[in-house]
Amino acid sequence: MALPVPLRDSVTPHELEMIASQQLIEIVPLIAMERTAFISGAYGPLRPPSKAKIPLWMAVNLKLKKKCHIIPPQWLSVEHLQDRLAQEVANPDAFSDLPFRFTEISKVLLDVASDDLENPDQIRTLLKDLREARQAKSREGLRHLDHSELGLTGLTSMEINEIRPFFVQSMSLLTKLARNTEATT
Amino acid sequence: MENDYFSIEAILAENQKVQCTFKHEIPNMGHLGGGTDRDIAVLSKIQIPMWLAYIIIYSDWADFNIPTPFGLKVRNALKAEATSVRLSNLVGSGGLWYGFGKMIMDMLSEDQAGEMSEMMTKAFKARVVELVDQAQHFAAIGAGGSGGSSGDVAQSFREGLDSTEREIFSLAQASAKRMKAWYDESDKARQ
Repeated sequence: MALPVPLRDSVTPHELEMIASQQLIEIVPLIAMERTAFISGAYGPLRPPSKAKIPLWMAVNLKLKKKCHIIPPQWLSVEHLQDRLAQEVANPDAFSDLPFRFTEISKVLLDVASDDLENPDQIRTLLKDLREARQAKSREGLRHLDHSELGLTGLTSMEINEIRPFFVQSMSLLTKLARNTEATT
Repeated sequence: MENDYFSIEAILAENQKVQCTFKHEIPNMGHLGGGTDRDIAVLSKIQIPMWLAYIIIYSDWADFNIPTPFGLKVRNALKAEATSVRLSNLVGSGGLWYGFGKMIMDMLSEDQAGEMSEMMTKAFKARVVELVDQAQHFAAIGAGGSGGSSGDVAQSFREGLDSTEREIFSLAQASAKRMKAWYDESDKARQ
């Protein structure tokens, strides 16, 4: 079975979300659980009300069954994101420092655990602003596309996945066009 | 594309005709010109496709001029405003302007080749930004591309795309659509 053309060079956002869901996150469990072995490792024991660290997929599962409260990671707060947004706007050449999979994790948490976050609406707006600011920067980078290299440090996993297919195609076209001048020199 | 023996695009791009001036007389080859002459006389101009022209020029039986799709008029238009040139009209149906240009480039002397390469590279870089913008805009509207809403300038740009540019357009559009679908689904399924 052949992959459709757009998927040959990149993965789907759902796949990235699944990969990101393997990261550990802190919760306050509402039920007790013994130390259980899963395929990826053993987690627990869960002894309410003390905190525990479990993978995100498990936390989401428990949360949907209303068996835990999720503690948001440190960077998912209004002050932190506002800080990053200010950095983003102040530096038109560089991308600010955000966790590599922040898009996926923040989307999952906003979906499932918005009551555990302070100010979810403002966080949503901030995330949207961040995404747009960064997209504008990668568009600028597209203008300076070269056939050999292009440095865009600090992009996060979802953004890389978004631009990879057409960036790579464009660069390969540029390589074909530029080859002659290099071959004869 | 030149070394890509199996690439359909390369084969199609090679099918373009170029104007050649034969330096020697060639008996019994008059049918190439499409006319009724039996021989090709010296200094006669005939249009032959690229894949044939390549060998003939290499063996020094003919000279050729840079064909119109890359002539001065097009060059100046590109320098003025690269995004408004309709590349697909310049090379027949399907439009493989870049591929065709590359093949010609390989046959030219070094200075001319360098010029052509720079012209194509600059044109592409200018057009690709507009291309990606439109692709992401269209991901929101829909695959059919209604066209009327975004205005005529955008639509004529899209119609004037070379076919390699069209591939890039559809890649960008597909990835933007996927992202949008993923973002939108978040608010429904979970709760």
